[in-house]
Amino acid sequence: MPPALLTTSLVNTIQIGSLYALMALGITLTFSVMKLPNFAHAEYVTAGAYAALIVSLSGVLNPLVIMIAAFAVGALTALISHLAVFKPLEGRDVSFYTLILSSFAIGLIIRYILFTMADYFNLFDLRIAIPLQILFREGYLILSNLFAWVVPTSIVLVIILTLLLNRSPLGREMRALADNIILARVIGIRVERVKNYTWLLVGGLAGVAGALWGLQTAVHPLMGWGAIISVFAAAILGGLSSFSGTVMGAYVVAFSENTVMLFLNVNYGLDLAFKPAIPFIIIIAVLLLRPQGFTNLIKRAGDLGR
Amino acid sequence: MINIDIGATAVAVLTLFGIYALMAISLNLEYGVAGVPNFGKALFVSIGAYTAGVTYTRLLPLLAGLESIHPCGPSMGAALQLRSEIMATQPAAGFINLALTFALAAAIAGAVGFAVSYVTLRLKEEWFLALVLLVGGETVRILVRGADDLICSNNGISGVAQPFYFLRDPGASSFLFMLLALALALAAYLYSERLVRSPFGRMLKGLRENEDVTRGLGKGISLARAQIMAVGSLIAAIGGVLFALNTGFVNTNDFVVNLTLDVWVMVVLGGIGNNRGALLGALLIAIMDRLAQIGAIILNMGGSEIEFNYVRFIAFGLILLWMLRYRPGGLLPESRLTTEAHEVVKRVIGAAK
Repeated sequence: MPPALLTTSLVNTIQIGSLYALMALGITLTFSVMKLPNFAHAEYVTAGAYAALIVSLSGVLNPLVIMIAAFAVGALTALISHLAVFKPLEGRDVSFYTLILSSFAIGLIIRYILFTMADYFNLFDLRIAIPLQILFREGYLILSNLFAWVVPTSIVLVIILTLLLNRSPLGREMRALADNIILARVIGIRVERVKNYTWLLVGGLAGVAGALWGLQTAVHPLMGWGAIISVFAAAILGGLSSFSGTVMGAYVVAFSENTVMLFLNVNYGLDLAFKPAIPFIIIIAVLLLRPQGFTNLIKRAGDLGR
Repeated sequence: MINIDIGATAVAVLTLFGIYALMAISLNLEYGVAGVPNFGKALFVSIGAYTAGVTYTRLLPLLAGLESIHPCGPSMGAALQLRSEIMATQPAAGFINLALTFALAAAIAGAVGFAVSYVTLRLKEEWFLALVLLVGGETVRILVRGADDLICSNNGISGVAQPFYFLRDPGASSFLFMLLALALALAAYLYSERLVRSPFGRMLKGLRENEDVTRGLGKGISLARAQIMAVGSLIAAIGGVLFALNTGFVNTNDFVVNLTLDVWVMVVLGGIGNNRGALLGALLIAIMDRLAQIGAIILNMGGSEIEFNYVRFIAFGLILLWMLRYRPGGLLPESRLTTEAHEVVKRVIGAAK
């Protein structure tokens, strides 16, 4: 494989993997705290991307303001879907499939509301209006200001989230909920409040991921839905429970979609049209062969280190 | 104002109803009766449609005694003309081809459904099956689209004509096609009613309610699950063949997750576990689909900017949420199954009182 392609694909892997990590952490968090595989997660990403797009079109080009707007809209969308859909179903002994179906339904509603809006205001396939600059060029390695925004922001957010979960009182309460919701209630954790904060956090991260994504590709109502399977693949690689596993999973998925796919394309002539099949194959393989994902590996590595 | 041909609209709605009814009944058998969450309905429907795409381009010319032309690429137009001519002039070849398509689609889908159900045995958690099926459906779609020659990747195959095309009368032809769809739906309904009331059906309901108890009663649950998946999948594939014939196109883009969701909406709306509910759900969705199309035309002629197709999906989402929250049993909830033995016991108790 030519080195130019290799470096480009590795840069893509890091860039896209970071975005997948932001989104997949939300899936893992919702699954462990709320016991819900949330397919509507994709739409928080899209909602955040559109918030960022609209803010940037209105003339505000400060990336920080754009991120905050995306965070707010994503968080709000997530909280609304919790309060309007998931919360009323809780405690009604509904089957797991009712929850999955409901998450599909609310996702469908949000997605096509965004479609209607984009159609009405002609907001299809626009880019967030921050101009592209080349910051660094060394041989084949070209890094743009987008890379400088996307990668550090994602990494910082992932670190903040990890600290929040492991060190802060809120994080402790979330983990308590994930572990045993009845005991959490018994020891006086205000479960509903913690859940609301979790949803805000999950949606906000997804929103920021959407804004960062909108910086590098065009914003479209299907952008979140198009990525949801890759993101689920990352979360499943993390066993839907481990946060470090999920981050690793995100980079593994991005690596196989970019570098591995390109390698197969260049060396074996595999059509790039098969690229979307990669996360699917990862999901099926993991669920069938290793449903715990990376979790045990990480634990074992930790034990060895001790 | 636009003129709406009421007769043609009714035929279109009833044809759609027949096709949707096949899909809804198959999901009802799998999820409603046996509790297998088939989130890959689009996969099994698409097997039927892809089979039709392959037979109408490869098998049909052979049956008519002609050389088949490669359906994709430069010869696309010639191949389309060839199959249209055969369908217009040689009804016998068309009917044999259709019968073989049904048989082939049912056999492939049944085998896939049977095999897929064994995947459950290897899964750690039950709901992973839902995910595997959902993802498997999309994977197959991408692979079929990527395999250029099978059904011409992104272009798809057009001119998959209805079997009564040779009549050269669109009205009569689509009326007869409607009868075919309704007859197949009726057959599937009667069959699944019998199945639900049989001992096998009662065992499936037991499996749905509690796997361990059913196994404890000495029932082979893996085989039962495989059998019901096979039956459901072959019904769905027959629906898929009709789906392709109805639109005249086979295109991978039609078999996305949204199709699966549509079928779920039908079953949830009509009543989970009740075949009559599945029929009602299919009818309501068929009517809504047609109304949405008419609404879109009226809105566009009125110069409205709002795309009605989007409103359709929002409405489907709202229906699903509403039903799941307020009427989880659906419009026609599942009724109690009583057996003859049950009747006897009731009579004896009544006599004793």
